[in-house]
Amino acid sequence: MGAPRSKLRSTHDAIDRQIIAALRRDGRAQSTAIAEELGLSGNLVANRIRAMDAAGTMRVVAVADFRVHGYRMLARIRLQVNGRSPLDVAHELAARDDVLAVHLTSGRYPISCLYAFASARDMIEAARDVSSRIAGVEDVDVELLNTVYRYRPSIGPIARPDEDAA
Amino acid sequence: MTAPFLPTDPLDRDIAIRLARDARTSFRQIAGEVGVTEGTVRTRVKRLQSAGLLRLEPIVDIASSDGDGTTPISRHMAFITVRCQAGWIDTVRAALLAMPQVEALYDANAARRIVAICLVDSLADVATVTNAVIAIEGIRDVDSELVLQTIKYDATIGPIATVEDGAREPFDQA
Repeated sequence: MGAPRSKLRSTHDAIDRQIIAALRRDGRAQSTAIAEELGLSGNLVANRIRAMDAAGTMRVVAVADFRVHGYRMLARIRLQVNGRSPLDVAHELAARDDVLAVHLTSGRYPISCLYAFASARDMIEAARDVSSRIAGVEDVDVELLNTVYRYRPSIGPIARPDEDAA
Repeated sequence: MTAPFLPTDPLDRDIAIRLARDARTSFRQIAGEVGVTEGTVRTRVKRLQSAGLLRLEPIVDIASSDGDGTTPISRHMAFITVRCQAGWIDTVRAALLAMPQVEALYDANAARRIVAICLVDSLADVATVTNAVIAIEGIRDVDSELVLQTIKYDATIGPIATVEDGAREPFDQA
């Protein structure tokens, strides 16, 4: 199902934004129902959703709580690196299944990752492993997400070139 | 302590995984793949949704621009970590939650440390947010980190059962 557009756009127009707003109310709303609500054709709505998805500018995803995946805790682990490119270290971390996100940042710790654990023991082992088994890691800051008050990822870095090429 | 969250099983996980990339996938197709009836898939999804453990929603890429297309928006993500003075954490947290740029917020390490994940529209906005945070009364120090590059990001798993969304017990670390 190729995108019926000559090129993939990165800008959403007024119609795209109306469709996204409708999907925020119900992510599984039928294209025909959205079309009726907005006074558009069902084909147009279906094509727009497909085109945004293909361009990676918008996706309707299922966001599951980490507990549904069998994890019990999350931690932010930040790393200082010496004598090795932080990018290489970041890729090494990204290859681990339990690492959900990896960012390079401007801070004191140039690498920041979100790590999920099934138990406290796993967390302790991972912290030890990251500091002793990944070359170039100088210092590690492990911070448990204790109480989460807000989590609203309605905008995020979803169109990553080196990930999810499907 | 009673279990604060709805217990889930491998079937819930299998369904969540099959919906993850495209939440509009038909329940009939998922039912065929995981070997249960379409009705079971529907019931499981409803149950997870009402427990606040699953959301089916659009996520817009950080690099896409809306507006009229003539004014490109460069969005950035920033992590702001604050340490609070003794007795001030609730006040500081409320002030941070009132800021529109704060997309996610958690208490870390049970040590008067709060982390706010912000989404800003420009580099100048990073300074605006950081300055506003520093001005909050009761803060000991502020550390602001701008995300320069994202190597991995999974939008389909996160701590979505939050205090703000009515989770009874904030976080079970038992």
